[in-house]
Amino acid sequence: MSYKVLRILRRRRYVMRYDVETIPARKINITLGVAVGLATLPVVAIYVLLTLSSFADRMLSGPDILEADYSIENWRLFFQGKLDPAATSLYSFKELIMIILNTLIVAAGVTVIVVLVSVMAGYAFSRMKFPGRRELMEFLLLLHAFPGVALIIAVYAIYVWSLKGIPSDILVPYRFTYTIFARAALEIPLSIWLMKGFFDKIPWEVEWSALVDGASRFKTWFSILLPQVKPGIAAIAVFAFLAGWEDLIYVHVFLYTGGIKTLATLIEEVIGNIETAYLPIAAAAGTLYLLPTIIFFIFTQRFLLEALTGGVKG
Amino acid sequence: MSRLIRQALFFLIPALILVAVFYIVPLFLSIYISFTGLKNWNLDRYLEQITLRNYERLFHMILYDPDVGKVVRTTIVFVTITLFINVLGGLGLALATFLMDEFISLPYRVLWMLPRMTPIAVYSLLWYYFFLGGEQGTLNGILLRLGLIEKPVSWGTDTDLLPYSAWSIIVAVNALVGVSFGMVIFYSALKSIPREQIMAARVDGASTWQIVRRVLIPQIRWHITYVIVWQLLSLITTYAHIFLLVEWGAVDRWYGSTWALYVFNTAFITSEQGIAAAFATILIIIGVILGMIALRILGYRRMIADIRGDI
Amino acid sequence: MVEVRLEKVSKIFGRVRAVDNVTVTFPESRFSVMLGPSGSGKSTTLYLVAGIYKPTNGSIYFGDKDVTNLPPKDRNVGLVFQNYALYPHMSVYENIAFPLRLQKLDESTIATKVNEVAKLLRIEELLDRYPSQLSGGQQQRVALARALAKEPSVLLLDEPLSNLDALLRLTIRAELKKLQQKLGITAIHVTHDQAEALSMADVIIVMDQGRVEQVGTPHEVYYKPRSLFVAGFIGSPPANILSGRIERIKDALVIEVAGARFEPSEDHLAVLRESNLEDIVIAFRPEHVLLVDEPIGRNLNVEAEVYVTEPLGKETIVTLVVAGNLMIKAVASPDYSLRSGEKVYVSVPRNKIMLFDPATGLNILHIAGESEPA
Repeated sequence: MSYKVLRILRRRRYVMRYDVETIPARKINITLGVAVGLATLPVVAIYVLLTLSSFADRMLSGPDILEADYSIENWRLFFQGKLDPAATSLYSFKELIMIILNTLIVAAGVTVIVVLVSVMAGYAFSRMKFPGRRELMEFLLLLHAFPGVALIIAVYAIYVWSLKGIPSDILVPYRFTYTIFARAALEIPLSIWLMKGFFDKIPWEVEWSALVDGASRFKTWFSILLPQVKPGIAAIAVFAFLAGWEDLIYVHVFLYTGGIKTLATLIEEVIGNIETAYLPIAAAAGTLYLLPTIIFFIFTQRFLLEALTGGVKG
Repeated sequence: MSRLIRQALFFLIPALILVAVFYIVPLFLSIYISFTGLKNWNLDRYLEQITLRNYERLFHMILYDPDVGKVVRTTIVFVTITLFINVLGGLGLALATFLMDEFISLPYRVLWMLPRMTPIAVYSLLWYYFFLGGEQGTLNGILLRLGLIEKPVSWGTDTDLLPYSAWSIIVAVNALVGVSFGMVIFYSALKSIPREQIMAARVDGASTWQIVRRVLIPQIRWHITYVIVWQLLSLITTYAHIFLLVEWGAVDRWYGSTWALYVFNTAFITSEQGIAAAFATILIIIGVILGMIALRILGYRRMIADIRGDI
Repeated sequence: MVEVRLEKVSKIFGRVRAVDNVTVTFPESRFSVMLGPSGSGKSTTLYLVAGIYKPTNGSIYFGDKDVTNLPPKDRNVGLVFQNYALYPHMSVYENIAFPLRLQKLDESTIATKVNEVAKLLRIEELLDRYPSQLSGGQQQRVALARALAKEPSVLLLDEPLSNLDALLRLTIRAELKKLQQKLGITAIHVTHDQAEALSMADVIIVMDQGRVEQVGTPHEVYYKPRSLFVAGFIGSPPANILSGRIERIKDALVIEVAGARFEPSEDHLAVLRESNLEDIVIAFRPEHVLLVDEPIGRNLNVEAEVYVTEPLGKETIVTLVVAGNLMIKAVASPDYSLRSGEKVYVSVPRNKIMLFDPATGLNILHIAGESEPA
């Protein structure tokens, strides 16, 4: 009798074991899942606290989530430009819109420049045999080793010098243009490398077909290859946009000093001017600024991660 | 000029111009500025005269100025510890998410990208709140609630806690961002290991830990080197994420500044560009040497694929 | 239509001589096939004709015109790749129309030409579809259509049948040949499949390691191989190759091989007498082997033991062991009854035996007289 029971038990256990092939044994899955979850929790928590705080009457630190009063008062004040109910407005609603627009202009501008430059240079590195190709590519990667802070001093010096010759009616566009190009330049080495990787994946025969069919190099690039690297272009565009949107240093150095405000410098200013009691208003500013990032995240998560991983080797 | 070179130039010109204008020229200009007494961006006045005074001052300050001494120590501590955390943390996250079900690992990996993709100003804001000195600071709030402290602590500036508190803050701030770099690189490297090897090890009876140690990690050695080198370079030159924290007074000015931030603040806030450039040049030298070593170490693998065809 | 001529063409990649001093003519309006194993240089040669590669040395002519320095788009060639290389983001119509658009023809002319070539290849219904929606065979037709749309003077095909399944391959082989005959176009086809080459070609160019081994009709290449390589590469199963020695006893000449002896045929005798070869390599095709109980007259008769038999339906392939450890293959009738271990005689008529110089690997009949094709 007991012998039979033992056999049944043994069979059951055997059946429950997973295929050897798949890695996640149930136990590992759960242990790791929980461990990473615990590690990730704080990261998520601070963001959630920020957003919640923007609707609360105080800066939330976790335990007091349930105790706080919630309203949209902070947001109302924020849009009016008031850093506390009694103060005068730091900026008007219209100015706030301008600030958001300015940030958008920088982000969009960086995107356009980065995409344009890398889609051309990436192709050349991927498909054209020119002398010094390898060396130039290595040099581009070496550019990462140039300390940005050293470069920015000179870049600003050139900027200051050039401002003297700019007529005042195009001053603002000039400032934007300079900022955009300066910021875009930082992204160039990596995006060219990534774009090259995307071009590399297209079979040679497709390009050869076009050339044998009679297409010029430019036509081949434009009509045949570009359509096929659309995912790559999209990935580069998203990263460039986020880089432009999230930038602090360049908009501070080049635009802020010229009186042009963006969301980054707004927050910078706000914290300098605000009473701690009214910090939640700053939280509102932060949440607003964070919004596009979160939106991008929700819509492109998998895609972003995959594109990022394409870029390491050759 | 051969047709091919002309065509290549066409596609390369935009990139070449950008690189020349925003990397090459500024590099030399910065070095030049370090030999002038440039202050307040008064180009006309200072740019003509060459002087070695900045470098004299630099060496003097490193040796004798207590504040600069703090910056040097901070930089060393910051770079080593954050490097350690970034590489190990990235490796840990990558391994953990690799060993999990795809279904759970994706949201985790995405969430860990958040710090890197957050607007820097907002990211600084988050940490500002977290370490804020009054009751409103998140950390203070939690610890007070839990009864672990009796009154709020000024984490970043309290002299009794310095330098370790300030150092912890800047390490934490950058580590959270830095870890995702290693995570992405290692994860993709792990994914490219042929699944069959892991299956074979399992059939041989290996435990998960043994698989990690004996099968997985040895095969991503190049990637580990790559991440270490890249992060090292990056940490030596990064300053954006702590800029606002120092400006807002959330951390002590000196123990919260790395060499790179010191350069930035000297150039743009104290407005002494000459000496800032001198400090920057030291950074350039270190950066370029490390960069070239990096390319050497990693170079033999960086096989940039050959071009096929003669058209 | 033009004749394509390569003169002393070499292509060197680093230290690798992919194409080594090749001189060959692909006749006008004929179906030429370049046959050889991987790495033999056949695809490289094709790409040299197309202009994708530039020769390191030598010249290429289309008729009288020196095209060596012309880029592909000025050579008016059509090229079909092994993986078809269709433009995935364009419809079939657009794919075929692409070369025509580049010539800046007007829409209605383009439409006419596209429809014409689509009809020729029977893909009219597919014009609106996209490459990802097509089967392998259909994609190949589209690739062909695209290559033919601009009415090229030379059609180049790089192993176009390799990616098709076995049955489809047989059908398309015949169709391709018909198509070429109908259009009268100069076609150069690259393959590693010797059966494919034999069935389609007007002229076969056998290549190995960047060099031309032989140029000839399928019949010549099959029955009169110029080198050991050709004899061993062509034919299924390939020729049996054995080493032997020449014994000269005064005026008489006998070849000893695998423990047996035979007197070479008259043609061979004539050449052998003039030479002073001591060692010789003999080859004979499996289908010329007679499996008999008793030696036959003046044939080469070798004692053998059956090793394994493979019944294939229409014939049986018999592997036998001779002289202790040498393997020989023979083709026998489907109802061949002998089994492993049984002993027979392998008997080959003298006029079916091919002799090769061991030092050069060349057929001794070719040495005498025929000028080198490469």
